[in-house]
Amino acid sequence: MDLIANLAHGFGVALSLDNLLFALLGALIGTAIGVLPGIGPVATISLLLPITFGQPATTAIIMLAGIYYGAQYGGSTTAILLNLPGEVSSVVTALEGYKMARNGRAGAALTIAACGSFFAGSVATLVVAASGPMLTSVALSFGPADYFSLMLLGLIISAVLAQGSILKSIAMVVLGVALGLVGTDVQTGQQRFTFGVPELSDGLGFVSIAMGIFGLGEIILNLERPEARSVMSGKVGSLMLTKEEFRRSIPSVLRGTLIGSALGILPGGGASLSAFGSYMMERKISKYRHEFGNGAVEGVAGPESANNAAAQTSFIPLLTLGIPSNAVMALMVGALIIQGIQPGPRMVEAQPDLFWGLICSMWVGNLMLLVINLPMIGMWVKLLQVPYKYLYPAILVFCAIGVYSLNNSVFDVYQTLFFGIAGYIFAKLRMEAAPLLIGFVLGPMMEEHLRRAMLLSRGDVVVFVERPISATLLAIAAITLGLMLLPALRKGKDKALAE
Amino acid sequence: MKINAKDLWAGGLLMFLAIIGLFINGGFLGIGLEQHALGTARRMGPGYMPMLVFWLQLGLGAIVFLLALTNGPDPLEKWTKLDFVTLAISVATGIIIWQVMERMGLTANYIQVGIACFVATLILAISPSWRPLGLVLASFAIFALLLEPLGLMLTIAALCVIASLADRDHRVTSVVGMTVFLCILCWFVFIYELDIRVPLWPNSY
Repeated sequence: MDLIANLAHGFGVALSLDNLLFALLGALIGTAIGVLPGIGPVATISLLLPITFGQPATTAIIMLAGIYYGAQYGGSTTAILLNLPGEVSSVVTALEGYKMARNGRAGAALTIAACGSFFAGSVATLVVAASGPMLTSVALSFGPADYFSLMLLGLIISAVLAQGSILKSIAMVVLGVALGLVGTDVQTGQQRFTFGVPELSDGLGFVSIAMGIFGLGEIILNLERPEARSVMSGKVGSLMLTKEEFRRSIPSVLRGTLIGSALGILPGGGASLSAFGSYMMERKISKYRHEFGNGAVEGVAGPESANNAAAQTSFIPLLTLGIPSNAVMALMVGALIIQGIQPGPRMVEAQPDLFWGLICSMWVGNLMLLVINLPMIGMWVKLLQVPYKYLYPAILVFCAIGVYSLNNSVFDVYQTLFFGIAGYIFAKLRMEAAPLLIGFVLGPMMEEHLRRAMLLSRGDVVVFVERPISATLLAIAAITLGLMLLPALRKGKDKALAE
Repeated sequence: MKINAKDLWAGGLLMFLAIIGLFINGGFLGIGLEQHALGTARRMGPGYMPMLVFWLQLGLGAIVFLLALTNGPDPLEKWTKLDFVTLAISVATGIIIWQVMERMGLTANYIQVGIACFVATLILAISPSWRPLGLVLASFAIFALLLEPLGLMLTIAALCVIASLADRDHRVTSVVGMTVFLCILCWFVFIYELDIRVPLWPNSY
């Protein structure tokens, strides 16, 4: 079996001392930022991007991935103990998890969350490993026109699934594409929108944008609203489950894993959408639905499994097509490009170490997280007591040094400052920043494919509907957009993404 | 009238940026700054994609703007008179400092941008509701200004002091303790472990 040989190869990579160490480091950092409200994986990964330059590509990506799924575990801890979701994806967990904690079953809720996440993560890892090479072989037959349509579809779905108004999200994607235009035109070498600033000839700094909007902007917004922290409800209590709890959580974990694995692949969907989807499903079909709202085990087991499964499978579009499905994956594209690797279908062939190593490290990382989270829960609770007033100057210092060290240039620091202001304005006007980041990353690639496709077709736009793959993708995109114009569905989405 | 003020401003901002972009690209109402070659649909020049993107953005911005007239109400936060005044003075001062220094040729290492940002954001911080915004940005600007002349340690201290003013709970002792801790941590992470090229202390000559 190819799969087994490949996985064996991957484990060889993932279990090397360096990679193990950095997977652990990533998982630890991820859990920490998941626990701490006010700093998310996007800001952290952009913060740590400059640090990863010195490492081999595989090690760097393994660590960054660890941060991402580590944050899913950490986020649920605070959601259960404090009714304070550290990440958007654990908002749903807080609904039932905090109630369980109030009933004195905090330990049980944490165990269910962690074990469910582990199981879901393991299954989703297998899904990635099995579907990766398959999708890759499909993707290799893509021409420029197909790629353009695929990216368009990705952008539209990510805008449709983003929070808030679809129209504004699409506008933000376009704004992101516009920001991506800055720099040297690849085909003619002409400087575009650089105003004679030499630092801009390589384009706007990807890290500066992410860190400005998601780092600086977030800090300012957090400082504006006074610190609101609920008090921890009593003790964590025993981590052991009762037989009853165990029996009830198993089907929910299975269903959550299924939903999460499927929805995680969708651009823009990812962890939060699948967590919510799973919660809705459990509430509909569970035998114990009357307990929902009062600490139902199913309401923790399902969404927690779903969000972790989705966190893993959201790597599929990135690894096979080179298309990021959410803001974190957009950062991964940035990290890969900085490392000199062009993400896309050729990555499986050209970088087997990276591809299989990453997949196996996900499983190893999930195992680590189980250990990090359950026995060491006391440590994370302690971390929660660090007040934000000590946290934000530290984040600022790390941001500043990180950005500076990218090119040893203060220009990047000013650029970050500028995007901090932009992020603040976006937040005040409720313009979603995540679609902007995805647009920024995909924009230059889209332009290249568009120009190549038009050159091949001698300027005929019909090429996009002539090729079957491209036409299908465009049709899906059009249908998605059309469906969202129906008021009933839009209301459903608003409800699903509320909070 | 149910005006959605947030969307109104968002739409306006999008349209404004799109028009600027079209203008620079050379294709807004026939006038433009950089005049990127458009090329044809077959051989697209450097100006073709920007044209498509900015027109799309202008259109979307206009729709957001028009829909905002009826789908509210969603008002912006209330601004006091002080908020308006400080914002206006801050922006004006920033632009003046930047332009004056640019004309005087003081542009080494983007110092004109840094000083303009720093002064402008400090002025902004006079108004209580702008304080977190102003001080966080000012602390970032001071970092860029001081890092190369004064070295990492003193710069971290300056950043911490300014940033900590943004939170009312900070006392002198807590700021000093935090600064010392961060200096040691950053030395360990960035100098000892990662060995980034940055001066640690002021140049002695």
